Amino acid sequence: MQVAIVKYNAGNIYSVVNALRRLGVEPLVTDDKEQLLGADRVVFPGQGEASGCMKYLREHKLDSLIKDLRQPVLGICVGQQLLCRHSEEGDTDCIGIFDADVKRFHPQRHEDKVPCMGWNSLHQMRSELFSGLAEAGTPATNHQSPITNHPYVYFVHSFYVPLCDHTAATANYILPYSAAMHKDNFYACQFHPEKSGPVGERILRNFLDLRQ
Amino acid sequence: MIELIPAIDLIDGKCVRLTKGDYDCKTVYNEDPVAQAKEFERLGFKRLHVVDLDGAKSRHVVNDHVLRAITSATNLVVDFGGGIKTEADIEKAFSAGAAMVTVGSIAVTKPELFLSWLDKYGAERLILGADVRGGKVSINGWKEDSQEDLLPFLRRYVEHGVSNVLCTEISKDGTLAGPATELYKRIMAEYPHINLIASGGVSSTDDILALQHEGIPSVVFGKAYYEGRIDINRLPMPDSNAASPLTPHQSPITNHTLAKRIIPCLDVKNGETVKGTNFVNLRSAGDPVELGKAYSDAGADELVFLDITASFEERKTFTEMVERVAREINIPFTVGGGINELADVERLLHAGADKVSINSAALRRPELINEIASHFGSQVCVVAIDARNDSDGWHCYVKGGRQRTERGLFEWAKEAEQRGAGEILFTSMDHDGVKQGFANDALSRLSESLSIPIIASGGAGSMEHFRDAFTLGKADAALAASVFHFGEIAIPDLKDYLSKENINVRL
Repeated sequence: MQVAIVKYNAGNIYSVVNALRRLGVEPLVTDDKEQLLGADRVVFPGQGEASGCMKYLREHKLDSLIKDLRQPVLGICVGQQLLCRHSEEGDTDCIGIFDADVKRFHPQRHEDKVPCMGWNSLHQMRSELFSGLAEAGTPATNHQSPITNHPYVYFVHSFYVPLCDHTAATANYILPYSAAMHKDNFYACQFHPEKSGPVGERILRNFLDLRQ
Repeated sequence: MIELIPAIDLIDGKCVRLTKGDYDCKTVYNEDPVAQAKEFERLGFKRLHVVDLDGAKSRHVVNDHVLRAITSATNLVVDFGGGIKTEADIEKAFSAGAAMVTVGSIAVTKPELFLSWLDKYGAERLILGADVRGGKVSINGWKEDSQEDLLPFLRRYVEHGVSNVLCTEISKDGTLAGPATELYKRIMAEYPHINLIASGGVSSTDDILALQHEGIPSVVFGKAYYEGRIDINRLPMPDSNAASPLTPHQSPITNHTLAKRIIPCLDVKNGETVKGTNFVNLRSAGDPVELGKAYSDAGADELVFLDITASFEERKTFTEMVERVAREINIPFTVGGGINELADVERLLHAGADKVSINSAALRRPELINEIASHFGSQVCVVAIDARNDSDGWHCYVKGGRQRTERGLFEWAKEAEQRGAGEILFTSMDHDGVKQGFANDALSRLSESLSIPIIASGGAGSMEHFRDAFTLGKADAALAASVFHFGEIAIPDLKDYLSKENINVRL
């Protein structure tokens, strides 16, 4: 299987490369049109600032290319946000696959720290990305913590996608938001599956195993 | 399991129940509400819902003396509502021992005031009381209906962080007609994360079990109990062996915080871990990558690798180790030691580290923090502080704790935050290696004065010490080395223990 990773000015692409290698896949990091269109899977990672990323993608015509992809695509972190319509970060028009607008977290209490950085639990998972995970995690030993029935994944972000029609899993930090999204062949997660232990590995494996 | 909350409604200091909220239609069930509360505790309940009906009618808290008598006589976690219209009413309820207050009418009539209370007291201590009649929110002891529809009303508050919602269907309350299950299902479908407390209409044990079946988090019941329709033996009672009753700060209802992190720290010299290890089944106990992987498999949430190598050439060995860690380990990791300039940071991030930790170099040249934050983002910049509580207060130390500086711990931590640090890793030199617990006083002071995560370090000797760092010290993460390396505490046991202590950890 040929997995392509979109090469652009976002940071830390190599942790995704490493994660895919751990799953036995040698990904191709590329911005070449033919290679991206021809791959079986495309991963669109992201770490960085939205407007700078979009500027680079536009200049290299990668924004329209991503729109044209027909194989399963996985956006990660800022990758998910860039697949939305617009981001409050730098007031940026994005690629527009998902009909949603990216907002900045506004802390409500002292404990609400931004960026949101750490492990949080997934809820309302409704995508094949999460096959086999609904029952994951240790059963609740404590009736007062229902969330221990849900898998934990690792987040680092200051902006979020609100709940919308394309929400494929939710997380709750300051407010409930889209932890993952899905529309047609486009999948995305706000968290970092490549840093989310065995749960993240399963999600990446599920992405590779999607029926086309 | 659904959380079971028996109710005591008060009129004239007596325990009563109304039907459909009608003050003319009341039954006195117990002249002595304190005796009733004690009875609930004896039966094994942990929670109690107290409603001051006199207060609701007269629009200020009236029966706080009864509340105080109940909270002094029992260990029940009590939420109190009815007549809370001002901050003075809230203070009255809290000082009478309420763990939480339920506020209804104000949320309809003065949303700004409600939000300011939410900000001041926190979502754990404030329950939004939504009383509904015919889909509209009702106010002032149910004597008036507002024009507010329930779901948009809830949305506004959930978006502002409200996590506890007590929803009462008035047409059902006190009628024993069965709860408004469809309404609760609709709310849960819309807001799956909130702690929804169903109230009104419960007529039997089966009603409660049915609500549990639908995944409703909590239920209040009154009349059904007083009329003998509840079979305690069939209820999902709380575990009697559970930890002592929760204090408000350990409230179980904090369901939108990140998990507290457990971080093993590995000291690395010439590519090998320095401290001894009792980890069995490792091919090479000295290999930091393999040790890190074992910790990761055991459930560590993050790893820290500290380079304690002296010479320049050996830095290369460490960088190669970082590359190997990045290849093999699937959780976040931080590297530190010997980072003096931006180029060091770049080299380590490029090798695959998620964050870097800087210590002496930041004290020497604080601008380094700004540089890292602006080049790579705050989230990669951990500022480590070694400090000691000297006779003239907490001071920062450099050179591995050998040299005192004149920087105070708290002011330096604040400056680091302002310059763009993403986290503070605070090691108390007084506590480090002593295994008597973390420096919880200093930790909680840091936690309260800063708005970035605090990692506790130094002093871990037992699992209780980790709990205390999170509860008393309010730390976001706890780091330790020897208790893990020598196998004194296994991470799965620690996570299990913390979870039973109501601390949100990743299982």
